[in-house]
Amino acid sequence: MKGGWVARLDNMSGDNGAGGPRRSRQAPPLVAPGDDLGDSGGYEAGHGVLAINGRLRALKQGRMSNRGGTVSIEPRRTAYVPRPSDLVIGYIEGCTSNIWFIDIGAPFNAILPMSLGPSKAEFGGIRKVLDIGDAILCRVQEVEENHSSVVTMKGMGLRAIRTGSVEDIDPHLLGRLIGRGGNNLRQLKEDTECRVIAGDNGRIWLDGDLSGIVDARDRLNMLLTEAKIEEYRGDA
Amino acid sequence: MAIPLVPKLLRAHLAELAAEDQRHDGRGRFVGRDTELKLNCLPRAEGSAKVRMGDTIVYAGVKFQIMTPYPDRPNQGGLMCSAEVRPVAGRNWEPGPPSPESIELGRVVDRGIRESGCINTEDLCLIPGEKAWQVILDLFAVSDDGNLFDAFALAGIAALKSAVVPAERFEVGEDRPLGVAKTPVMCSYHKVGGRFVYDADKREELGGDERIHITLGDDDHVHSLQKGLKGIFTATDFAEIMDQARSRCAELRNLIDEKLEGE
Amino acid sequence: MGGYGDVQCIDENGIRLDGRTKDEVRPVHIETGVVPVADGSARMTWGLNDVIAAVYGPMEAHPRKIQRQDRAVLDVRYNMAPFSTTDRIRPGFNRRSREISKVTAEALESVVLTELYPRSKIRVEIEIICAEAGTRCAGITAASVALAHAGIPMSDMVVSVASGKVHDIVVCDLNKEEDNYGEADLPMGILPNSGELVFLQMDGDLSPDQFQEAWDYNMEAAKVIHAEMVRALKGGDE
Repeated sequence: MKGGWVARLDNMSGDNGAGGPRRSRQAPPLVAPGDDLGDSGGYEAGHGVLAINGRLRALKQGRMSNRGGTVSIEPRRTAYVPRPSDLVIGYIEGCTSNIWFIDIGAPFNAILPMSLGPSKAEFGGIRKVLDIGDAILCRVQEVEENHSSVVTMKGMGLRAIRTGSVEDIDPHLLGRLIGRGGNNLRQLKEDTECRVIAGDNGRIWLDGDLSGIVDARDRLNMLLTEAKIEEYRGDA
Repeated sequence: MAIPLVPKLLRAHLAELAAEDQRHDGRGRFVGRDTELKLNCLPRAEGSAKVRMGDTIVYAGVKFQIMTPYPDRPNQGGLMCSAEVRPVAGRNWEPGPPSPESIELGRVVDRGIRESGCINTEDLCLIPGEKAWQVILDLFAVSDDGNLFDAFALAGIAALKSAVVPAERFEVGEDRPLGVAKTPVMCSYHKVGGRFVYDADKREELGGDERIHITLGDDDHVHSLQKGLKGIFTATDFAEIMDQARSRCAELRNLIDEKLEGE
Repeated sequence: MGGYGDVQCIDENGIRLDGRTKDEVRPVHIETGVVPVADGSARMTWGLNDVIAAVYGPMEAHPRKIQRQDRAVLDVRYNMAPFSTTDRIRPGFNRRSREISKVTAEALESVVLTELYPRSKIRVEIEIICAEAGTRCAGITAASVALAHAGIPMSDMVVSVASGKVHDIVVCDLNKEEDNYGEADLPMGILPNSGELVFLQMDGDLSPDQFQEAWDYNMEAAKVIHAEMVRALKGGDE
């Protein structure tokens, strides 16, 4: 079969013998759904990996990694699925007299109850506080079994977003935007003199002078283009 | 088509950019996205074109059928143009019968081509009162990132110009080029942040207001106009974009001619 | 199945109209990211077949009655573009497309881990831009790649291919003439890593031996196509 080289745990250990540390320079191997990743003995199946009949199997397209015996796949693309304490940027999509419905870019709308809203909202008058189409910076409070979630605006820095611009990026590229220890993000803020807040759902709030925002957006786009090019280099 | 939520912040930001005469992707006010045109890309169609403008991608395919001429025009064939935006093209496009949006798309493109008189319908007649060619232009969107109108119109006229009448397959003579005498092309302008811009992308469409579509034929003759969506514009606004449309339409006509020569 | 007709699909040396031997697959090429606005997409050219698949979601399932409390539903639509065949196809409702959409959804639901996204739906749009026999197989295969490209978790990808019989000879991966003038058609949906099946149809007339031969051809062809699917996914967007 001409399937090319399939990543397996057995052949991930590099040149210096079985069990030795993997060379850090080597890019983690790419896998496709259904790829057999080797014997599951002694390994834990992490994100995107399924243990089945004593073997590990890839569920997603992405790069395989093995950290502390947990084999997982860093997916190349993924939908945003909310988790408690995620910082997200949402849009008010609708409301009842005491609840706002928020689009947070997840499969399901989140709800923001009046009690967790930004300020003294009154029953029946909540549109005066946050209206349909408004953007908010909020935190995921709770995710229910069926994936519906509750967000809150009680907390440091959580607020309605009234100025600047919100850009969308694929959530899996956030790591690259933020960089090791937040370096890239800090650099972006310094260079453009913008406030940059990256939501875990891939929405980025840029705020500052118009020229700063335009500059920041250009850099954001450049970074993403680079990420795309790098991702594909050496894969042939 | 599901109506998407319009973020207030986006409208405010686009207005802020407009005040500085900028656009969110860095383009000038009357600068279009990179436009790619490919001819004869559908082996089963008698004429075809694919257009890519940024992330907007559409196909146009020409098919022929034999029809009975309409009683009031016994020596003429027919032209039919239909646009289909299926849910493949974007999150907000829904399955089911054609939406008002896609019907508008098809009809505006149709009018521009039909009214330019670029196809001589008498040429399409085979036996007066009995048999004539019906030319069917199908427009098909693969990816909608804004301004499907211009993409459809460009792909449509290019597909017609490259079409060959399949007379041999229908056993009514020899294959011949359809013969499209003129080149009507469309330019669309969206009001974004209070002023008209050319070739709006999805984000500008979302945060913008009304749109105006202008189809110009050879020698800058006007063949179709359409104002869409809620909004008010002035005669001065219109004069300005009409002026811009003349030069852009000429550029697009050259693009089609170059591609046809290259075939 | 129209019997022999007057078309000679295989010559005396066993060479088919398109120059293939009887066990050869048509040239296959797959690329991903062809619908930039979708969450995942793939295009498959296979002989003259040209198929685009796009995936949107997971998203909230509407209308409510299609929601499943314990899993996601796959909302699959197979459609042939009006200009995809020699005679134009009228847009609109079509029993054939409905059936293919249904079996495609069922094949893909067998591998997608739908239980991870209760109450939601994953939209899979399959558009046949140009058709040359075996579009349902190309559709299922392209949809698998598009789902993988969208990052939807799945236990394996589905490879679909059809073999059949023409002039009483079993041939792999039918082309248009063989489909029109042949005597049997056996499309299968195969999980390449386990050899299990998730999709099976057949029409025509096959002897037990011929059936086995067609089955084996499909299994072999699946390996060739799977290699191209994996290449497309690992090679990145073009």
